[in-house]
Amino acid sequence: MSRVASDTVGNGALVPFSEDTKDSLAVYPLHHGLAPPISRIAISWARGNSLRVSLFATPSSEPSRTPQDQSGGKVLEVKLGVGDPEISDSRWRQIAYGSVAPFALLQSRRSALSEMIKSSSPYQMDWWENVLEYSKDITSLLSGPKLPPGPIIEERTDIVKKREEPTCLKAAWELLEIFYADKQSQAWLPEKLVDWLADYDSLFSSTHETVYGKLARFQKELVDIQVLEDDPRYWEVMSSALSVGWLDIVVKMLRLHGSYQLDQLSNRELENGLVEAVAVLISKMPRLCHESTNGKLGELFKSKPDFIKAWEKWRSQITKLDCSPFWIQCGNHHTREGLRNLLQIMLGNTESLCMATCYWIELYISHFLYIRPFTTGIESMYNLAQKCIQLKPPSSNHKLTGLIVGILEENTEVVLAESSREFGPWMVAHAIELLTAGSEQAEIVLHDERYNLGGISMIELHRLVYAQVLSSHALTWQIAPIYLTSCMKQGMGLLENLLYRQSIQHNDLLLKNIEICRLYELDHISSDIMKVAGVYHWKHGHKGAGVYWLQQSKDTSRLNRIAQQLFDSVGKSISDESFKQWEGLIELLGSESKPAGGLEFLHKYRDFKRSLQQVYGGKATDAARQAVGSLILLMKNPSTPQRFWLPLLYDSLKLFNWHECPLLNVSETNLLLNKLQELSWARLRPHFSEPNLPAEALSSIRLALATNLGRAILDE
Amino acid sequence: MAATAMLESERPVIHRLPQHKYIDAVRWLPPLSTFDRFAVLAAFDTDSGSSSIEIHSLNPNPLSLQPHSSFSSSSRVSSLRASQFLQKTVVAASTAAGSLHILFSDPADATFESEVSMPEEEGLHSVPGSCVDLMDGGVECVTVGEDGRVNLVSIGNSNLSCDRLFDSGGLVSYTAAKWASPMEFATGGYGFSLQWWDKRKPGGPVSQFKANWDQKFTAGIVHSIDIHPSRKHTCLAGGSLGTVFAWDLRWQQQPIILSGAEVQSISESEVWEVQYDRCIKSSATSTRILPAMICSEDGILAVIEQGEEPIELLAEPCAINGFDIDRHNPSDVICSLEWEAVAILTRR
Repeated sequence: MSRVASDTVGNGALVPFSEDTKDSLAVYPLHHGLAPPISRIAISWARGNSLRVSLFATPSSEPSRTPQDQSGGKVLEVKLGVGDPEISDSRWRQIAYGSVAPFALLQSRRSALSEMIKSSSPYQMDWWENVLEYSKDITSLLSGPKLPPGPIIEERTDIVKKREEPTCLKAAWELLEIFYADKQSQAWLPEKLVDWLADYDSLFSSTHETVYGKLARFQKELVDIQVLEDDPRYWEVMSSALSVGWLDIVVKMLRLHGSYQLDQLSNRELENGLVEAVAVLISKMPRLCHESTNGKLGELFKSKPDFIKAWEKWRSQITKLDCSPFWIQCGNHHTREGLRNLLQIMLGNTESLCMATCYWIELYISHFLYIRPFTTGIESMYNLAQKCIQLKPPSSNHKLTGLIVGILEENTEVVLAESSREFGPWMVAHAIELLTAGSEQAEIVLHDERYNLGGISMIELHRLVYAQVLSSHALTWQIAPIYLTSCMKQGMGLLENLLYRQSIQHNDLLLKNIEICRLYELDHISSDIMKVAGVYHWKHGHKGAGVYWLQQSKDTSRLNRIAQQLFDSVGKSISDESFKQWEGLIELLGSESKPAGGLEFLHKYRDFKRSLQQVYGGKATDAARQAVGSLILLMKNPSTPQRFWLPLLYDSLKLFNWHECPLLNVSETNLLLNKLQELSWARLRPHFSEPNLPAEALSSIRLALATNLGRAILDE
Repeated sequence: MAATAMLESERPVIHRLPQHKYIDAVRWLPPLSTFDRFAVLAAFDTDSGSSSIEIHSLNPNPLSLQPHSSFSSSSRVSSLRASQFLQKTVVAASTAAGSLHILFSDPADATFESEVSMPEEEGLHSVPGSCVDLMDGGVECVTVGEDGRVNLVSIGNSNLSCDRLFDSGGLVSYTAAKWASPMEFATGGYGFSLQWWDKRKPGGPVSQFKANWDQKFTAGIVHSIDIHPSRKHTCLAGGSLGTVFAWDLRWQQQPIILSGAEVQSISESEVWEVQYDRCIKSSATSTRILPAMICSEDGILAVIEQGEEPIELLAEPCAINGFDIDRHNPSDVICSLEWEAVAILTRR
């Protein structure tokens, strides 16, 4: 158990420590700028891999002098871990973005396939082809940027070339592809591994000596060496390169031999002949390969019998040259021994191979090349690997070796564990697709629902873990739903959590969130989110936005509640001039069909006010009649708040006293009088708020109504 | 509805350029010389939590964007405009915190030369979200916000002066703005509302678009407005639910729906930006709405035209948050993609 000491050292850094793991000690300096002493520290998880550290300063007993001193504490976020040294955070995000489409495509193909199986069509045997296509997409995604092409005129001494910066991640992915996804290459596995090592040998230089490392170092010194063939390193490097099958490099280096120089050719004819003979033999090495690997040396054979024939012939040519009498006549000791060593490597001399290679994987590859080119079956490959590990025991473990051993052991769980430990959740979540394509047994292991995982399968577990990682970052949470929805058991629940957790403050983010709800038909969630947004905007004074979101979520009860609050300010501020401000909000409420809760009152109120305005402007009786119509509608409507009754009636005084004719008929007048009566009862109740009207308002309304009633009765 | 299939030879050339930062907004800069081309990007770096407004130069062969000049902004940019004024390039950016930055760039080498800002403390807008539009010729900005304020900001060499034209006190929020003439501009907001304003008539919008949307039609939010210089009476707006409509001031009640609802909808999600497409020569008569380009949350960049099938230019697996058509070279379009990248299209 590691303990965290909440102890502040000199510079105020927080130092986590544990007695038994001193190596893993990590120090994160905190620049909190608080004056010591710190009285209390609280630590909690923040988003992703960050800790939220809250520091509380000791409250000083004496009054602080400057305002800066008053800060009683500070909250900081500390990002844990230094991340992946090989791949930056932004590159990881790019990988995450790029893998969405291939993953989604594969999932949709899988569900289409399972539909087909249900409809009892013959089982598709070529599922692995889909997986391979997926794997190729991911591989191209993992490819780093192409390195700038070298100078057009190639230096004579350019031996090793890199097309792109290799990464362990891509190396691991390709390894999984070779073993699990690419069923076609099963017969050419060893040859595939040779190619793989040629691409990624440089990666192993970080932990041990490699052929690539030797070559790269030698290349640097090459220009300074006067007589190349007299330097033992020249021969050593060549034998190493040959042992792992880098034929073009060896041939190129052989051609640098001093005997090729024009001034020397005449007196070193025999020596040169031997060098050339070896170079030709190397370039004629038969390779079993199903596709032409452009530009590579060696003779390619697609069928095994052809290859075996060529292999035997080639071996006999080497033996013949090895036994040739010319060697005795060759004067240059270095050339003679060097060339013969190369021949020994090609003949598969275990000792020479062991000498030439640097670590067990290189030795392993050299075995495939020169001793057992016909190795097939994972089991025999595993036995060979064990033999090589015995011959060259690894001094330190590289990221990739654990994975290789796991694959050769055919232990799916080890492969998963290694991928997860060394390459993280992205790798596991995506590589699992390759593993399930690998074998039925692996598929059972991975799809099996496990009690100890809470009833979910390994596949689901790893997808969920990856989705959690995505969810924890502000820029990647949007792709988490794609992975969550592919998880049958827990996915939807976690997706709902994720969507609820997003901030609703900014419209862009809110709308992106709602869009995801729409895609996955999570209407209840989007309606909840819109409610939250509505309340947020309302509370922050964006009344229009609040009303909009509550309307969108069809939340009538909240609309009714906010209507009451809104009317308070309507009552105060609506004069004929400031009504312009309200126009927009009323427009927003839209047509009658939309849920507006109590707010629909505003609509009618606006209509009434407008026709009233016309009445005051012109004198048209028509406008006045319209205004009366609106008034009656308002007074009849149960959603009209009681507190508006009196102001409405007071505003309408002119209508009641219309001199041309009574505008209200008997029943309408009675309705208004009844309302007035109701109002005087309501006054007796507590909490009644008196409208801000002149004292004589009520009596003048009564009088006007009574007059109108009289006139109306006479009319009728 | 399916978009018209394009012939292989007609397809635009597309370059996707990863930026390793979230691109909040993107604009072409008016060209300074025939050979150099520049774009201005508003970027947000999540690793450091910093926002910046960057001028990038566009290098051909292979097409790439090279950082050229940068200004670090105090908060994330919510909208970005670029224009030219007296041989100087003016870039206007409003931020999520409610501040406004006006950047002047040197005409000779396209680097930021000077800057005037209206910091958030001056209360141009209260958070969150505001939108700016720079008048053509660049002496005045209009800024509108969710807080319901409509400000006119005139740009001086060393200072900005702000004049509040209207304040709805939050009763109405504005989410888009666009100048129509040196005196008039349009704004948009919630419920597909549009307002027409005249500088000379403060106190409220001169005209409001009162749509009689169908019963079935759900209203959304206007995200972007464009007004064509030759047809100032028509206001083109794009917003939620794949809706693009035009509002003709002369026929106030009836919107002309170009996309959305049951009209040839190419997208069902948010239309983040609309611009008249000056590249396509319309066969349409003068009564029809000119062709327009849109980009959407579901990753579509397309050209729509009244009564025609939409033409899909780009279909991305992620959202296209914004785009800009190069005014001087309308076949070129720059888009900001959700996944920390920029795409540049060249139409043939």
